[in-house]
Amino acid sequence: MSVINFNIAQWRAWAPGLESVDDWQAWSRQPVVLEPSDAAPDVSFLPAMQRRRLSRLARMAFSVGWPLADGRQDLPLVFISRHGETPRTFEILSDLATDQPLSPTQFSLSVHNAVIGLWSIMRGETSEMTALAAAGDGLEHGMLEAAALLDEGAPAVLLVVTEEQPPAAYSAWIDDVPFPYAVGLLITPGNQWQLSLNSTSQALSKAHWPHALNLLRTLLGQQTTCQHAWKNRLWTWQRNL
Amino acid sequence: MSDLHREIKELIIDALGLEDISVEDIGDDQTLFGEGLGLDSVDALELGLAIQKKYGIKIDADAKDTRNHFTNVASLAAFVTAKQAA
Repeated sequence: MSVINFNIAQWRAWAPGLESVDDWQAWSRQPVVLEPSDAAPDVSFLPAMQRRRLSRLARMAFSVGWPLADGRQDLPLVFISRHGETPRTFEILSDLATDQPLSPTQFSLSVHNAVIGLWSIMRGETSEMTALAAAGDGLEHGMLEAAALLDEGAPAVLLVVTEEQPPAAYSAWIDDVPFPYAVGLLITPGNQWQLSLNSTSQALSKAHWPHALNLLRTLLGQQTTCQHAWKNRLWTWQRNL
Repeated sequence: MSDLHREIKELIIDALGLEDISVEDIGDDQTLFGEGLGLDSVDALELGLAIQKKYGIKIDADAKDTRNHFTNVASLAAFVTAKQAA
């Protein structure tokens, strides 16, 4: 069994219609799939010329990450998204299919590390940044990365998990994004939380909600543990009170 | 402002996502790149593509005149007019 320890110093989350702590508390008590929406978070803290190319995925990442990074310099970032910029990818592929020239903006911002590149430019941040696309347990793989950065001496690590609603063409393959969302966690050294990994011989049933949203429910509720299974990996989050 | 000037300004705003800018904010002789409007190299590629698509003209990215054609709205309008007449 492998174990890591850390504190979750602060968190932020965004989904269409869910912005404040109260919104998320209400959702956590009675979680539902949100109605489809084109709503995007407010990123007016960025200059207009800088924010104009940001997709909703990037806006979601910035909206949860920016306040957590406020006043902190040399803050490493772990960006996690399983599916990434699926709307941009789909537009590029659609242009290719009809022999249209590709948009340079779409192309340059479709890569998985585009968001951390923009983050670095806009914040003047040169700390280590990583963009991960793991399977359904990307949150936990990102936590391992964050724990390694803390172990190397980082005073804090910013972790951002975000998923965009995929275009309808992908719906036969992508079934783990109930609605667009982003969760930001400011991770610091400590023992308030423990995350452990156990392997099992058979596949376990998946969590009903994406892991980051499930973790929010634990953060906001009275429970002290939550378990997330993906394939044969069983992750246990334990809060030490 | 001529119709072509206005059309090119609208194209710049739409193609480059300049959500806070209107056609009145862009001067015919205002420098587009770097100083002036403050567009960058990705904008140059995107605008070149938009002009080619809208007016059905070819732009040679390596031609030494291309940079001059993209100086401002007036030079772009002259370029489009000349290309369409050719």
